[in-house]
Amino acid sequence: MSIVVLPPAFINVRVHKEGEAHFRLWLPFFLLWPLLLVVGILALIASLLADLVLLLVGAAYHGFTRLLLGVLKLLPETRGTTVHVRAKDSSLVDVTIR
Amino acid sequence: MNEDRKRILGMLAAGTITADEAEMLLDALGMPAADTAPGAASAGAGGTADATSAAVGAASPGTARAALPKYLYVRVTGDDRVDVKVPLGLLKAGLKLTSVIPPQAMDQITQSMSQSGMSIDFDNLKPEDIEEIVNELREMEVTVEDKNGNHVRVWCA
Repeated sequence: MSIVVLPPAFINVRVHKEGEAHFRLWLPFFLLWPLLLVVGILALIASLLADLVLLLVGAAYHGFTRLLLGVLKLLPETRGTTVHVRAKDSSLVDVTIR
Repeated sequence: MNEDRKRILGMLAAGTITADEAEMLLDALGMPAADTAPGAASAGAGGTADATSAAVGAASPGTARAALPKYLYVRVTGDDRVDVKVPLGLLKAGLKLTSVIPPQAMDQITQSMSQSGMSIDFDNLKPEDIEEIVNELREMEVTVEDKNGNHVRVWCA
């Protein structure tokens, strides 16, 4: 039985450049989950309709639903991604997805 | 005597695998390869890749293997410092996605990658291949150091 993995809950972005104002973004991504759910459902309906039409006209490719599900599956897998870049001029970019 | 070890030594004695392959398999089981079966040295061109992989597959599930890697790490040190940690699940999911991309788009992607010097045919990449690739990444470590002192290390853990 597979475990349902949720999309990222938080995204932290930090940009620091010497001599300039720091930029820090803490994004509670979980607040967007309801919106993502609505967009996902609408996209799923559209892809199902597209696949049905393509199947009826005999098109060779009618896998848009699988493609959409594959793309949606990428989102939860981004949890744990971190990118940290520090240049020699002490500028810093930090991105964390949790 | 441990069953797996006995099996490996039996194959060595039969000439199915070479002494080097037997040692590799015994190392994988976490056992010393000191006692080899008689006639092992004379096993000429015996060992085939199939025999080796069959032997590895025949090893019991309980053999000591490191836990599956979860992240791909990239670290660059030198003038700039870069640290990247990418979940391997993301790579797996991305590779699996290649099988559902429309053929016309896939052709364009393959062509662009070929022009960049990466000739990878994603059409022949099966899901079990992806699992095997990711599972074996635990053994991978790439270290590059250039004359300017920049150091690049890529590994999975």
